[in-house]
Parts: sequence; structure tokens; C-alpha cells
Amino acid sequence: MLSCEGADFSKVLKRYDIDLQVEMTPQEMAAKLLPADPVFHKVAEEVMYMRFKTVGPVVAQAIKERDPLDVINKGLVAGMEIVAKLYAEHVYYLPEIMMAAKTMEIGIALAEKQVPGGRESKATIVMHAAEGDPHDIGKNIAAVMMRSSGYTVIDMGRDVPVVDAVAKVEEVKPLFISGTALMTTTMTAFPAEAKMLKDKGYNTPVMGCGGAVNREYANSYDLGIYSEKAPQTPLIAQKLLDGYDWQKIREEWDNIVGE
Amino acid sequence: MAVTRYTKMAYDCADDMVFGKAKQPVSYGFGLKIGAGEVIPEINYAPRPGTEKDAERLRKEYVDYISKDILNRAVTAGFPSVQLETEWVSQMNQAKLSAPVVAGQKEICEKYHEEYGVNCGTRQTIPDQREAEEGLRPGMGGSHAYPEKLFECAEIACENGADNLSCESVGGKEFADYAVTNGDIVAFLFGVGYLGSIDMTYIWQEFADIAKKNKCVAGGDTNCSGANVSMFMAGGFLDNDVQKTFSAVTRCISAARTLAAWEAGAVGPDKDCGYEGIICKAIAGKPTAQEGKNCQCAHCDLQGNLIAQCCDLWSNESVEYHPEFGGTSVQCWFGSIAYEAALMNCATQMGQEKTLRDLYMYTDRFRGPEGYVLAYDNAYKVGQAIAENGNDLYLRSRAAGLTGAKIILEGYESKKLGLTNKQLETLQDIIKKLEALPEDTDKFYEYCVKEYKDTVPLFNPKSYDL
Repeated sequence: MLSCEGADFSKVLKRYDIDLQVEMTPQEMAAKLLPADPVFHKVAEEVMYMRFKTVGPVVAQAIKERDPLDVINKGLVAGMEIVAKLYAEHVYYLPEIMMAAKTMEIGIALAEKQVPGGRESKATIVMHAAEGDPHDIGKNIAAVMMRSSGYTVIDMGRDVPVVDAVAKVEEVKPLFISGTALMTTTMTAFPAEAKMLKDKGYNTPVMGCGGAVNREYANSYDLGIYSEKAPQTPLIAQKLLDGYDWQKIREEWDNIVGE
Repeated sequence: MAVTRYTKMAYDCADDMVFGKAKQPVSYGFGLKIGAGEVIPEINYAPRPGTEKDAERLRKEYVDYISKDILNRAVTAGFPSVQLETEWVSQMNQAKLSAPVVAGQKEICEKYHEEYGVNCGTRQTIPDQREAEEGLRPGMGGSHAYPEKLFECAEIACENGADNLSCESVGGKEFADYAVTNGDIVAFLFGVGYLGSIDMTYIWQEFADIAKKNKCVAGGDTNCSGANVSMFMAGGFLDNDVQKTFSAVTRCISAARTLAAWEAGAVGPDKDCGYEGIICKAIAGKPTAQEGKNCQCAHCDLQGNLIAQCCDLWSNESVEYHPEFGGTSVQCWFGSIAYEAALMNCATQMGQEKTLRDLYMYTDRFRGPEGYVLAYDNAYKVGQAIAENGNDLYLRSRAAGLTGAKIILEGYESKKLGLTNKQLETLQDIIKKLEALPEDTDKFYEYCVKEYKDTVPLFNPKSYDL
């Protein structure tokens, strides 16, 4: 093997990850973000530190002292919002998001039993991986992020026939349906679904996502909108809730998903 | 086909490995000799959306456009050899779509070999559409019958003229997906290292028999569905959803799984997307396909030069067929990989192959932990750990992961390899968790079944004959 003695590899490569890493700890960042109320503070901490084994007793105690809906919104959801901020700042990464979301869901399931009529979700969305496509890891991540953002997610799984996806939209009338595809020949399911929906008189956006799909493709069929990465999906969903239709989502896409 | 586990290394030392030469070269197709002294470019492509809708359009896309364009470019630019790789789109699990493509590619390869003397052949990579929820073994009752279709595809490929039968199998994926998104190295070890190896052993015994019956070469597999997902999610320096140290260790574990295809009768070359190929080649001496800097059409990685270090086929991963300024996309990317292969072959002819190998390797050795552990000297050590525990699928996978993790830690501690605080923290946690696992396979299995009962509900022991 050649010797690399004397070689200056800083002339060959640059480790941006090391040079630009965030030195602040989650604890230091969270100190500024956690709720002031001691009960909500404690609940939010459970989510933030992903304590899925102890979140149950903490929430059980909290709903004795505070309104259950407040425990959800000002404790559990607030904790998840901190996690999202830490993720955006590259202090937390995907595993922390997944575990924090799991922790939050345990807490919500417990608290919402005490909410008369149950907790109201922002909207229902349908998610699936395209017909013939077994790759669904991106969908699963996006589903976690949507649930964490307060949406009811109907996850149809992978390799979902076009007709089944359309039937589900007819049945539950979601805010939008999203599909993922990793292959150029399976992503053709999305325009097929969109056409069937349009023919039936639905204006439900059909979000195309996944490794094979790009913005140009998702925008090539009526009803089509695009999400490049899982964290963008709640941002787009919020705009649909605000009254945007699929055309306006396309027009303002850069601003909606922009940093 | 009998299964023979590797318990010793094919190479006496890491320095004996070089690109273009394997201890056990393989010949097939029309004049292709893989690992016999030259690196051969392998071009992979995806048909345009919509062409899958009828058999004639698909055949025309693959044969009359894609294959012909590539072979023409070989003649135009003076490239002596090319391997075509067709990764079947899911619809090709129907013979009416796949058989004409396979037969047509065989025919056009023969024509260019006879008319121009181009050494060429096809790798047919069949789709593994099996789903954990329906079961991975034939007869498990899934509505799609995907396990049955997997073997039917192997038959279709081999009967219609495939030169090399390959697959990107999905055994263990139900755990790999969970492991990667949750940063759980033990789940990855169980799913990919243990269960995935059991599945690979099973399917490749069948594939090897089918290939032999049809005088086709059983090539190999990859852990694309596990370690590559991990690597892609670790991403470049702006991504980092998954820690790069985690990804690097999953790569080491995946080698123990990819090796199982060769132990079950496949002879190589394995699949280009298996970045673990260098480890497998060190153990088995069979030729390996690799991809890196010339696969930017498909994805970016942090070891684009390094991974060429000991390849026998050099691939572009995949590109959608479409026009570019320089010709069609397949012609442009074929040019890219073929010129790279020419550089390697020139180095060999001038006796400079080890120098070029080391330049490739050093270029990316310190770019990230995955490149560091895949540098051929370190990869060789991971291979040794696998071979030393070769007869036990769990212990060898664990040894691969632990050895790889310690190599990275040692690189960091000796100030050769930089790590972020989070990468280091993850690495230390991985070592702690792997060291704490039982030495006994049965105990490990019992532990995992209990531990992941709720978090990986799709796991069905019957899929692995357990």
C-alpha cells in the first residue's frame, strides 16, 4: 500500500459535517423552549427525551392536575414541536423523531380517553406505496411526521392497487392522498389515480413522492402535487387546510417548503 | 445445491486484491471474462414511464433503443467489452413482458459480438416483490403469490437467455426498515445478519439450480434493501437523517448476508449496489461489481473513488432512458463508466494497478466512516472476522459489525478519521450494544423475538423456516 505520509487531505476533501456541527446539547436548546407550567413542562420533557416507558404514568398524573386536552396540546404536542426544532437544527436525527413520536402517541392515546368526544384531528389523509412497489420506508417516515402534526393517517401499506387507493379516497374524503414510488414504472400509478378521481368529480390532491418521482413528474398530471422529503409534507398539508388547492400548492411550492 | 460456508480468506493479504482480477474469474455471454484481468463496464437503465404498459413497447424500449444505443456507442468509442444489466421492472414478473426482453437482448448481443467483436452479455436482475406480511416462502398463502413468482422469474430469465442471473433480495427487510429509521443496530443484526442470511441461503440454492439447469451463471445479490437504505439516509453532509457511523456498521453486517449467495451456489459477479462487495471478494475471491463516482445519475455517496479500488465490473447503478446532449442517457453514462474502466485497464497494462487502486482508496478514505471501513485493508479485516465465525450466521454478522465499529473507533482515536460528536456517540453505543449480546445463537434469537414482538409485527418465523 502506498504511504500517505505527508499528504494533506484537506486539499482533497472537506468535512462539512465536522466543521459545521451544532455544539449545543438538546438540554441547552430545550431550556429555552420547554413550557413554563411545571406540569406541561414535565410532560413535554417525556416526549423530548423519548421516555416511552415512563410517559404513561407522567401523563396519568398530569390529567389529574390539568385539562386532558391541554395536556395533549401544551404538553405532548409542545414536546414534539421542540423535537421538530431540534431536528431542523441537526441536533436530533431521524431515530429521535421516530422515538419521540412513539412517546407522544402513547401519551395522546392515554389522555384523549379523558377528552369528551375524543381529540379532534386536523384532517384525515390517505398514504400508500404505489401498485407494484414494495418500497415504503419513506411513506412510513412521512406517516409518523403527519401523525405527530395532528393528522389522522390512513396508511394503506405498500403495493396498493390503483382502484383500492381511489376507493379509499371516495370512502374517507381525505385532505389529500399521498403515494410513494421508487421505480419509474410504478409511479405511473399516481396519474392513473388522479385521472380516476377527476373523472369521478373529485378535486382531491394526489401527492407523488419517492425516489423515482420528481417535481416535474408530480406536476405533470391534474391534481398532482409534490413532496420531496417527509418533513415537507406537514407544511404542504397545512396550506391545504388553509384553503389552497393543488394548483396554488404548485405555484407557491418553493415558498411553502422553503427553509 | 449444497451450501459451503467460508471459514478462511481467499486472499493471503489485503494487498493481493486489485481491480479487474479475482481469484475465481467467471466467463459467460459472448466473450465476457469477469475478474480475469480487466475491469468491464456494466451499464444499467430504467425504461421510460409508460413503456411497461404493453409487451411490444417494453421490448422495443429495452432492446431496440437501450441495448442498441449502448452497443453502438461501444463500437463508436472503441470500448471492447460491456455487460448490460436489466433490473426487471415489477410488471416483468409476467413472462409475456419479460421473455421477449431477455431473448431480444441476447440476440442483439450476439449480433454485435459477431459483427464487431464486442464482448458482451446480459445480467438479468429479477424483482423480489415478496412481502413480509404475506410470507417469504412459497405456499404461505399470500394473495399475490410473490414467493412463487420470484422463482418463476428466475426460470423465465434463464430459459430465455440470461447470461448472469442476479437478484436484490429482501429477506430481513421488515427488520432493516425498522432498524434504520429507529437507529437500532441489534434489529439490523437480527434482520439482515441472521434472518437475511437464512433467506439468502434458501433462495440462492434454488436460483443456482435453476441457473445450472439452463446453463446460465448464478451471479449474486446485494443488501440494497438494508445497508443501502441506511447509506442513502445517512446521505451527504447536508442530510444525515441516519448517523454515518450507523450506516458504516450496517454495511459490515450486510457483507455476512451478501456472502450467503455465493455459499449457496452463486459464482459471481455480485451486484453493483452491494458496496459490501469488497469484503465478500476478500473472503471468497469471486468477482465483484461496484458503483461509485460514475453512478451520480442514480445517487451520491461518499466513497465514489474508493469503491473502485478492487472492482471487476464498474457500474452506473441505473439511469432512466432519455435524451442528453451527448446522445441518449445510456450512451452518456456508458461512456462515463467505460472510460473509467479503460483507465483501470491501462494501469494494469502498465503495471500500475496497485498505485491507481491506492489513489482511488486514499481519495475517499477519510471522507466518512463508511469509506474508511470499506478501504480494502480495513475491509479485509472485517472479512477475516466473518470467516473466523463462518459457520454461524449470527456470530459472523455480529463479528463483522463489531470489528467494523472498532476499526472506525480506532481510526478516530488515532486522529486519522474525523467524526462528529453525534457520530462518535452513536458508534460507542453500537459497540456497547453489540458487545452485550449473547454468544449463543438460540439465546440471541429468543431475545430478539421477545424484544421486537410489538415493534416489528410483520416478522413471521415461518418466512425463515424457524
